[in-house]
Amino acid sequence: MTALEEVVARARTLIGRWETEDCGVLGVKEFCRYAAAVGDGAYAARARDREAAGEPVEAPPLFLASMMSWEDGPAEDALRPDGLAARESPCTQGLPVRQVHGGQSVRLAGVPVAGVRITASRAVTSVDRKGGRSGEFVLLGVTTRFTAESGKELMAVDETIVVLDGETAPGEAAA
Amino acid sequence: MNSPAAGQVCPPRRYTHSRVALFRFSAVSWNAHRIHYDGEFAASEGFPDVVVQSTLHGEMLVRCALDWSGPGARLEGVSWRNLATAVAGEPLTWTATVTAVEPAARGQRVSLEVSVLKDDGTACVTGTVDLTRPGGPA
Repeated sequence: MTALEEVVARARTLIGRWETEDCGVLGVKEFCRYAAAVGDGAYAARARDREAAGEPVEAPPLFLASMMSWEDGPAEDALRPDGLAARESPCTQGLPVRQVHGGQSVRLAGVPVAGVRITASRAVTSVDRKGGRSGEFVLLGVTTRFTAESGKELMAVDETIVVLDGETAPGEAAA
Repeated sequence: MNSPAAGQVCPPRRYTHSRVALFRFSAVSWNAHRIHYDGEFAASEGFPDVVVQSTLHGEMLVRCALDWSGPGARLEGVSWRNLATAVAGEPLTWTATVTAVEPAARGQRVSLEVSVLKDDGTACVTGTVDLTRPGGPA
């Protein structure tokens, strides 16, 4: 079995198996640091003014969707050679493959605010083997749903992860 | 801004992401993939510099759209497809065209076709942004 065939086999066993993850209680400082990192200098002033006034502070719209992980994080020696943690590279552990992000779809149903505990539920939802100019690759579909402690769904994120044979440079991929 | 109309082309917006910006975005989003902050590793993967994160492209698609729409605009959804890699220091341009404007509970729902282009016109990402904004036809 090739590495890509193994990825497909692993993914098929995971499809529809939802895993939940505690994202913790969101905080204004996290929001402000995120806004600063993306160059939204005006966000922090607005957020801190609302916090001082005792008003709800909304997260930047893509704050939840942009987080790669909500884990405390593995030790450095537990990361893959490319720096990704096993959780962030589903179905590929120990295999000579590379991955790139194919795209993302985000639907917002509510607004996360500071002080609310968030839960993420995540599952592999599809796997497709494809052929392109640069050879074969696998498309993994992964969906993450974020809910508030009230049970209200705030956001759903569908991602496509492109898994390539280890010999294929990501820049050559037909994503 | 007056009420937008389908077919309207939004003013493009040019920007670059510095290496420091890419590092900070990796740090704040807990993204340890080395192609985004380790130049030697990125070169070993065939890239001329550290690579712009897919989610940072998404962030720019959204933020430029919200800025264009004006105060009170809210994101409803965004989707994008990654087509080509962009790297630190590379000039990029956000482009958008209004595809639909509909009445909504709190004003208007506006749909945009959006993209991030390199200087030679190559699309790094293409996608759609849906937002609501206050107000209605002028």
